[in-house]
Amino acid sequence: MKTAALSLAIGAALLSGMAAADGFWPQKDGARNGASRDLLKADEAFRLIAAERDGKVLKLSWDIAPGYYLYRKRIKVQALAPAGARLDAPQLPKGEMVQDEQGSAEIYHGSLQADLHWPSGSAAPQRLQVSYQGCAEAGVCYPPQTRQIDVIDLSH
Amino acid sequence: MRSIILIIVACVIAAAAGYGFYRYAHEGAVASEPLPTGLQLSGLDGKPHGFEEWRGKLLLVNFWATWCTPCLHEIPQLVKLQKQYAARGLQIIGPAVDDPDAVRSMLGPLGINYPVLTGTPDSMIDIMEKLGNGPGGLPFSILVSPDGLILDRQLGEFTPAQLTKLIEQHLPPGPAQ
Repeated sequence: MKTAALSLAIGAALLSGMAAADGFWPQKDGARNGASRDLLKADEAFRLIAAERDGKVLKLSWDIAPGYYLYRKRIKVQALAPAGARLDAPQLPKGEMVQDEQGSAEIYHGSLQADLHWPSGSAAPQRLQVSYQGCAEAGVCYPPQTRQIDVIDLSH
Repeated sequence: MRSIILIIVACVIAAAAGYGFYRYAHEGAVASEPLPTGLQLSGLDGKPHGFEEWRGKLLLVNFWATWCTPCLHEIPQLVKLQKQYAARGLQIIGPAVDDPDAVRSMLGPLGINYPVLTGTPDSMIDIMEKLGNGPGGLPFSILVSPDGLILDRQLGEFTPAQLTKLIEQHLPPGPAQ
């Protein structure tokens, strides 16, 4: 009886060890299959939070997850409504300069806010189309993202 | 009391042995699964292509884009490997998640010596997702056996040593040096 219990306990321990290995051990040497599980999707990595208008300024903000960054040169904003609404080029803060295969580039980490103005005589934008593109520090880049967002008017 | 301690020690040893055995048994193993069928891409000339065209070759599919810096960093080693291993049956293809004109403009500077394919951004994201790229990032590569099994997938760049090892592992031996 004692021997049977001992065998059972050892067998259970053996299986537990294998199960632990199955959960924690990478699938193969050299492959980074885990990277696929660990990386965020673009919408989680680069959260376009809000477009808010206060008087003559429209503020567009992103929350960039730690370990990810957006390229300044890939941020584009266009007014979709009302008809005829236009926007000047977005005013962006100074980013961090990096050098890569494509030369130098300015990037943003953390929180990002763009100030948008529109030409005098043009209607205040109520709906925007926003494009942006970024990468993970882990060496993975995401396709350009394009989102449409309604402007919240804070002056009312 | 002594027998309880012995049982505990035996269990710990057994658990460690199980863990070690699993590690040993799975070292270098690959989880093969069939390549999904019916995935359609386009050549830069607009002609449709399916992955089945390259059946019989060890196929390395490398999704890339001109806006993807790590992709541009990785491509020269793919060009080198295509040249080095073509005679032994390696075929690399490069579906680009990008505008065809932007892709064409980079073929010369990058010296790409393997077929480059395109598709609409949505269709490419969909294909990558079906191939196991949940986050949708680039570069993304899969290695497919001559009989259509996915041998490996990688989100992010391969190091030259990783890729050479992987290809050598799955190609028939070359002529003796």
